[in-house]
Amino acid sequence: MATTNLIDESNSEQTQVRGSVLVLLPASDPARLQPVLERLASALPAEELVVAVPGEIPNEVNGPVKVIAAPPSSTTWTLTARDFVTAQDMAKTCAVQTLLILGPEAESLSPAGIRDLAITVQTTSTDLAIPRYVLPPGAGLVNSAILYPLSRSLFSTRIRFPLPIDLGLSMPMAERLANIAQRLVSANQGDSPLWVVNEAAVAGRATEEIDAGTRELPQPKDSGLNVILPLVTASLFSDIEGKAAFWQRARITPPAARHWPSMSRAPSESAADVSSMIQAFRIANTNLQEIWSLILPPNSMLGLKRLARVEGDAFRMPDQLWARVVFDFLIAYRLRTLNRGHLLGALVPLYLGWVAGHINSIVAGGDPERHIEALATAFETDKAYLVSRWRWPDRFNP
Amino acid sequence: MMDVLATIIQSQPIAPPQPLYTDNATIWHHMAGALRESLFRVLSLLIAVLPGILAFFVAFMVFTLIGMAISAILRKGLSLLRFDDRLSHYRDSGTWTPTSSPTEIVARSSFWGCVLLGLLIGVSAFDASYATAATLPISLLPYLTHAVGAIFLLIAGTLVARFLARSVLIGAVNAQLQYARILSLGVKWLVLVLTAAMVLEHLEIGGVVVSLAFGILFGGIVLTLSLAVGLGSRDLVSRSLESHVGSGDRGAEVLPTPINKPDQIRHF
Repeated sequence: MATTNLIDESNSEQTQVRGSVLVLLPASDPARLQPVLERLASALPAEELVVAVPGEIPNEVNGPVKVIAAPPSSTTWTLTARDFVTAQDMAKTCAVQTLLILGPEAESLSPAGIRDLAITVQTTSTDLAIPRYVLPPGAGLVNSAILYPLSRSLFSTRIRFPLPIDLGLSMPMAERLANIAQRLVSANQGDSPLWVVNEAAVAGRATEEIDAGTRELPQPKDSGLNVILPLVTASLFSDIEGKAAFWQRARITPPAARHWPSMSRAPSESAADVSSMIQAFRIANTNLQEIWSLILPPNSMLGLKRLARVEGDAFRMPDQLWARVVFDFLIAYRLRTLNRGHLLGALVPLYLGWVAGHINSIVAGGDPERHIEALATAFETDKAYLVSRWRWPDRFNP
Repeated sequence: MMDVLATIIQSQPIAPPQPLYTDNATIWHHMAGALRESLFRVLSLLIAVLPGILAFFVAFMVFTLIGMAISAILRKGLSLLRFDDRLSHYRDSGTWTPTSSPTEIVARSSFWGCVLLGLLIGVSAFDASYATAATLPISLLPYLTHAVGAIFLLIAGTLVARFLARSVLIGAVNAQLQYARILSLGVKWLVLVLTAAMVLEHLEIGGVVVSLAFGILFGGIVLTLSLAVGLGSRDLVSRSLESHVGSGDRGAEVLPTPINKPDQIRHF
């Protein structure tokens, strides 16, 4: 039986572990670590592989893979700045050329997906490999509504999941991300997410999307949308604000390189959820008019009022309206029109309105990916509106 | 004996009854004199404190102008140094997100700091001249400082009320409470009533009556809100308690999402 190869980090001077691929795993139970190691062993050659596990290495671990101890990490539902700093430190220690960072529930990743992440960075000029997951149409809705369309329209990239839970990095890219992450850690923002796709676009680094198949996406402990959505959008809006000089220039989004598989079956228990979301939107429309009118122009306010009167299955938020709403919130975030916590809290019911329309369109037989692509195109079309309002906030307000 | 009495009476001639006042000019003269004297006192007091009042306004205006100049210089300088951008890299934006940019906050703080300094110097100058004036039973200066403090209290209370009302409104709307606006108004008026009571107490107006009225009003508003929340959101409270009990049973920090439930709506 193959023996465990456990390397204590404190003895690294004498028994320095070297390999070509370092895989950084999140903290997890010993029972869940073993399946991950087995998947890694089946995906990549063991002699090239080094796996870093936070905290103490469990005694139950066995297999041909070299396992080393990494600094403890707080398990979250997304990769944070602290993870990138740790990854870079470990990669330097092990003198690897390719770095894989895997998030929680990594045992659900297919070995082919893991292999493609590593090989793409190892064998091509790609600096950043991002997996594209096949998710049910009712999953990853914040990404579909806000993260992907904004990232695509402003940074001219077709990466479907710009806030990945797993990724492959080259060493230069890892160093760049670690430098940025170190600033956040120094500013006591170590738990903030890092927008790797945006950073790669600004740095001019090659990015590749990998078909990773299905995956179990970890859900946050504070699973309330009212907490997580403002957190994620605040981080993204801050990142966009800092990169304004880049995205204000006109760029062309490259065409889609291939057709990606998707699931199109509508959520079967969606009717109650949709009606609840429409109800939330209507309550907000009644009570938050005063706050929304500080952020949105009269055209958008009129569109929302009309939408609130639509009943049942016909409830759909037009793509252009949603694009304008997101852009106006981004501008209000920059201008500090009102307290940022209040601003992003007021976005939640609008997002729920969009989700309700999206689910309705799926239930009616529409292709969810086609709808998301149409939405992203609407964002690209209205980019000029954002640029104008960004540059002349007082003068341009239709 | 009778002769002696007659002699005494005859030696003291009977004077005719005299009127109550004999000289009108004397009374009016006294009154005019009293008026002149009081006018003289007041005018003397005014003349004595007039330099102080003038010094107050001059100090206030001078320091206001200095504040405007410092504010403009700071605003220009910090914009050139890109102070906002540098600070955004290091500031922890998760806990406090002000409405104004940091440059604006620094510029405004410097301006109002100079105004406050001018106010203090002006009041001090007024106090110095007032102390040399004729004494009056009413002490104006302590009341003036109380009034300034009361104004600051009122402004701070209004800002806090507005912020809290908005926070409660957005939170209640996101919790899908139908009476979100009522809740928000209730919180706003709670804070405003508290502020008003504090201001009146600071100005020493009303005394026990104000405290009692505030207590009754505050208690009534709290009771009304409690009834509204308790009776109107029983389902919300029970759902919240159930979710807390459920999460307490789970040891892991991250909740796994089973892949064999593709019909679930998940936002992340």
